[in-house]
Amino acid sequence: MNTQRVWFAFFIVFALTLNFGFFWGEIDNPNHHNPFEFFLALVVSLIATVLKIGDRSHIGAVLLATSLVADIQLILAAVMWGYSAQVIGEVSPATMASIVSLAGGAMLANVTSVILLLSETLQLKR
Amino acid sequence: MPQAPRTVSIKTATPIWLLLVELRTPLVVLILVYAISVLGLVLIPGMDDQGQVWHVSFLHAFYIVSYTGSTIGFGEIPYPFTDAQRLWMLFVLYASVIAWLYALGSVLSVLSDPAFKQLQHHRRFVRRIQSLKVPFWIVCGYGGAGAELVRFLAEHGIRCVVIDGDQSRVDAARLSELPYEIDVAHGDAGQPQVLVDAGVAHPLCRGVLAMTDHDQINLTIATNTRILASRVPVYSRSEKDSTTRNLLSFDVEVVIDPYRIMAREMVQMITKPTAYALYQQLVDPTICEVPMPPKVPAGHWIVCSSGRCAETLVDAFRRAEIPFRLISPDPLRTGGVAGMVRGLGTEATTLREAAISEAAGVIAATPDDGDNLSIVLTAQAENPALFLVARRNRPTSEPVFAAGPFDLVLRMGRILAQEMYARIRSPLLHQFLVQLESMPEPLVQGLIHRLQGKRVNPEAQITHFSITLSANAAPGAFDWMAEQPLTLGQLLIDPDGSTLPALCLLVVRLTGDLVPFPGDGFVLATGDQCLIWGESTVESRLDWMLGRRDLLADAQHRRTASA
Repeated sequence: MNTQRVWFAFFIVFALTLNFGFFWGEIDNPNHHNPFEFFLALVVSLIATVLKIGDRSHIGAVLLATSLVADIQLILAAVMWGYSAQVIGEVSPATMASIVSLAGGAMLANVTSVILLLSETLQLKR
Repeated sequence: MPQAPRTVSIKTATPIWLLLVELRTPLVVLILVYAISVLGLVLIPGMDDQGQVWHVSFLHAFYIVSYTGSTIGFGEIPYPFTDAQRLWMLFVLYASVIAWLYALGSVLSVLSDPAFKQLQHHRRFVRRIQSLKVPFWIVCGYGGAGAELVRFLAEHGIRCVVIDGDQSRVDAARLSELPYEIDVAHGDAGQPQVLVDAGVAHPLCRGVLAMTDHDQINLTIATNTRILASRVPVYSRSEKDSTTRNLLSFDVEVVIDPYRIMAREMVQMITKPTAYALYQQLVDPTICEVPMPPKVPAGHWIVCSSGRCAETLVDAFRRAEIPFRLISPDPLRTGGVAGMVRGLGTEATTLREAAISEAAGVIAATPDDGDNLSIVLTAQAENPALFLVARRNRPTSEPVFAAGPFDLVLRMGRILAQEMYARIRSPLLHQFLVQLESMPEPLVQGLIHRLQGKRVNPEAQITHFSITLSANAAPGAFDWMAEQPLTLGQLLIDPDGSTLPALCLLVVRLTGDLVPFPGDGFVLATGDQCLIWGESTVESRLDWMLGRRDLLADAQHRRTASA
């Protein structure tokens, strides 16, 4: 068993599960979307990206790309949330819906990552 | 399904990629430290100016951690921290600063890693070669000969790319004073990838010059080039007859054996000093005066040498019927030599045994520079009238050889460089040099005399170049020849009507016929190639006149008017 592979898979799957947990719920209801869960999803997604750097195979390049997509979506959502909460002063249901839909987009990228990871794992000869 | 191997050569990786791989751990540490710090700040309750409980938002927390981690430290904003927050900030401060130092340290250690620098340099080299817009030659081996040749070619604007496996030579090549920034690859020229990186398959690669000290590597370079880029000519150095035969067996364009060249030069100097002087002037771009033949005394020659150098010299002297005595530590493999003296020649007794008092000169051609100097000095003490020839093996010995009392220094590297240069500069030059070998001395003397008579500026440098009388290269002469015959005397003319201080050494006709030393009345034909020898100003003037349709006729009118 390769410890590096364990961490690699752990962070990829963890990014998806956290993101899903945040995304689940009524889209414009702030009570259904926990900011701490969002924060963790962002941090785990960033770490997953860093771990993907350095795999020079073709699948590694695609994994890195999907991870970067997820990061960008989540950072955009974070900026939007921070702006509306701190600068405007309140998070309207419309803004909340935008934030959650951005996170949903990131989740799609996370799902792609996991599918790629699974397909690569299944191809491995025992 | 068999999978393609996933190996990636280190040479193909981008430096930024390697940098990021090394930075993976520091980056993860940095992200974790930031995440924990922010989370802590958000969770720990603070107090606002009215004494109410106040929670730091994510935005503020990230802001505070950012300015703390970067040691900017704006202070406790927006409200003074509580004691619990200060305790947490202590952790944030140390953890984030240490994480940053770790990350920056990793970046610096990767950037200053010699392997990383080498990789970066290599990539830059490959990119520069790929984007070269001018023709170039690949010089394998930057030793004495390689360095000299690169300098010779640079004087005529011919560009080189150098490959050498020795770092000190690579540095020497990079720091050399050349009119262009030379590209140097550090690597074994015997490896095909190094040749490919140096641009052997580049459409502007004019040829590969295999000039390393090892025959086997030169042979490998030649075979690799044949397969990698069959259109690219290979000029190879070879120090053994077996290598020469091997190289010629797969049609290597030029094979140069420095020992044979040296032996031929010695014979030419002794039997035909004028032709020798002209030869040297033509093949060495650093000799810019009208050649002065050396004054060679009569008598037998003492050859102090060993191994293959001695064999080639003895062979050449026998063919030319030059009397000689050989001083050698070992008998020659090619057979016994009558009157051979065993020894180095550094002691007076061996020299006396070879009858030094009646000798014309001594040739100190051992593979050791110190021995050569010793032989020459001992010989001079024995007989001050001797003609002294010393072989210089290493370029670093040059100061002693330049200052010493020698009539001739055989610089092995330079001999090789001159030969290569003569072939590269123009194919006509080499054809002429072959003709020169069979030319009688009075003819060559007359030629030099004629150039002396034509000279305008005695200070001007003497050089040579070739012209082609084709419609593209010389429209002026082409148009003239369409109407009336053009003689050589009419061609070598200044636009103001005076005669140019130059001679034509050789005309090569379209049919391949060679006409050496054509006179002024020689009638030229279209397609003729001429090797012109004269003052350095002639080339641009002739070029100017041949390129225009009106000037040649004007010049002829001026000449007849002034006559």
